[in-house]
Amino acid sequence: MLRILVLIVAVMGIANVQARTLPADPLESVMWQYMAERFMPEGEIVFDDKVIVMAPLSAENQFHVPITVDATALDDVQEIIAIADLNPIPLVLSVRPKEALSYVGFRLKLQQTSPIHVGVRTGDGVWHVSGAIVDAAGGGCTAPAAAHGESNWMQTLGETRAYAGRETLSNARMTLRMRHPMDTGLAAGIPAFYMNELVVKDDAGQVVAEIDMYEPVSENPTLTLKPKVGSEETVLHVSTRDTEGNTFDFPLTVPASARL
Amino acid sequence: MVAGCGCAACGIGNARLLDFDLSAVEIASRTWAVLGRTDYFDMENGGNIVNVAFIEVPDGVVVIDTGPSKRYGDALRSLIERTVPGKPILRVYNTHHHPDHFLGNQSFDAELIAAPQAVIDNITLEGDGFADNMYRLLGDWMRGTLPQAPTIALDAAKESVGGRDFSLFYLAGHTSSDFVIRDDSTGVLFAGDLAFLYRAPTTPHADMPQWRQSLDTLASIDKALLLPGHGPSDAKDESLTQTGDYLDWLHGTLSDAVGSGLTMNEAMLLPIPARFEGLGVVRTEYERSVVHLYPALEDSLFPVIEVTQ
Repeated sequence: MLRILVLIVAVMGIANVQARTLPADPLESVMWQYMAERFMPEGEIVFDDKVIVMAPLSAENQFHVPITVDATALDDVQEIIAIADLNPIPLVLSVRPKEALSYVGFRLKLQQTSPIHVGVRTGDGVWHVSGAIVDAAGGGCTAPAAAHGESNWMQTLGETRAYAGRETLSNARMTLRMRHPMDTGLAAGIPAFYMNELVVKDDAGQVVAEIDMYEPVSENPTLTLKPKVGSEETVLHVSTRDTEGNTFDFPLTVPASARL
Repeated sequence: MVAGCGCAACGIGNARLLDFDLSAVEIASRTWAVLGRTDYFDMENGGNIVNVAFIEVPDGVVVIDTGPSKRYGDALRSLIERTVPGKPILRVYNTHHHPDHFLGNQSFDAELIAAPQAVIDNITLEGDGFADNMYRLLGDWMRGTLPQAPTIALDAAKESVGGRDFSLFYLAGHTSSDFVIRDDSTGVLFAGDLAFLYRAPTTPHADMPQWRQSLDTLASIDKALLLPGHGPSDAKDESLTQTGDYLDWLHGTLSDAVGSGLTMNEAMLLPIPARFEGLGVVRTEYERSVVHLYPALEDSLFPVIEVTQ
């Protein structure tokens, strides 16, 4: 009997060593524990003001809720993830800013008022988390994309408009706007169909940034990144792929610094 | 849980009569404005943020816009009956399809409600969605409210109602169809939401160049007084100047923001000039406008990139 008790205590002890102490969520999300376990399964989690999450208090349009994340105050950022806790599909995107500043702008669909958590993983494995609550009217994820109201949306798939400019001597600012319905699969009769990969490379073929996108990214994804660049004119190469295997590749020229 | 739903407006424990205390201001001879607050919809104001008006004409009463809900429409109707006792309502005009201007239609005889066909179409298309959102914002204030589209489609330049001539102007810019009415006897111009005064203009369906053009048209119309959709009545076209100034600033600022690759969130932080500080809810409306106007500006200002598929 004693031996069994000792065994139980020992097992519990091991379990305690492995379990993380999850910090209380300042947003008081009812889904926080589950979100943390599912999307940030390993590593310490800390809420950190160095992660700046810009979001409106209220979503003027539940199909296009703008979010900008600035984690440039943190060193050695490996990954940035965004989660809309109360969406039927919570994970929005994951960004790995390899040769870009730890920064991303994007828009997401909200199914209802929800906490948005942003986790930023640094090289030591720690998740630095921040977020915001966005009030929203319902239905952002379950209504058909606006593209389905047009007869020619297949023809315009992948059409791209973009801005590339210089923010400083050492980094560019680029905003990409690509035509894609980003179907979640939750609107009646419309299967999931969305852009799920985006890679930016420099002229030498080195990866600048990688983004995995999921269903909640808004229709016609509009993404802002800040690639690190030299002071001379340079060409970045963007490759995207959707869940049907369509690929869309395009170059983007960053002008030389005016001070050259 | 059944006994108290927790919201300030409907818990049994804190039951409160939701009642609009509407009052009519006589802005011209036998012409009354019911002036809303220069706020955004909230549980406290119940949606009373809009101007509506009514006019005693020789044989009855003409109503311009009906407010945000059935409850408001009922209160408006009772205010009209108190102010102009014993006179029948002969005509109800809707200036455009935004919910604060027409969701009180149910309180009036549908056969008397008139608007341009495009306003009727917009109400038919978007009315349900607006009503849903208004319930979300205003809760029990909206009880019983259903969208009622006007039944009379107008296209004439003039209409005589109950012995009074009205000039009708078919404009656009605030929405795809903005209807403006002038009482030719008093010279009062009911400008709807093409004109705002001391309240930030709203832009969910705005077309900036069209709106600018409509402001010029409104300035050129002979009038004694202008009633904007939001804000006090205006004898000096101040609402037109102020609305134009704000729209020009908004369009220029957002074009510059898009043109330098700012995200919507970054654009929302840009400073608002001091001269617009007196406009009610200007920061909120500016932030809403960023979301409304950014996508089209991106589509027009960003160059097309050749894509290899």
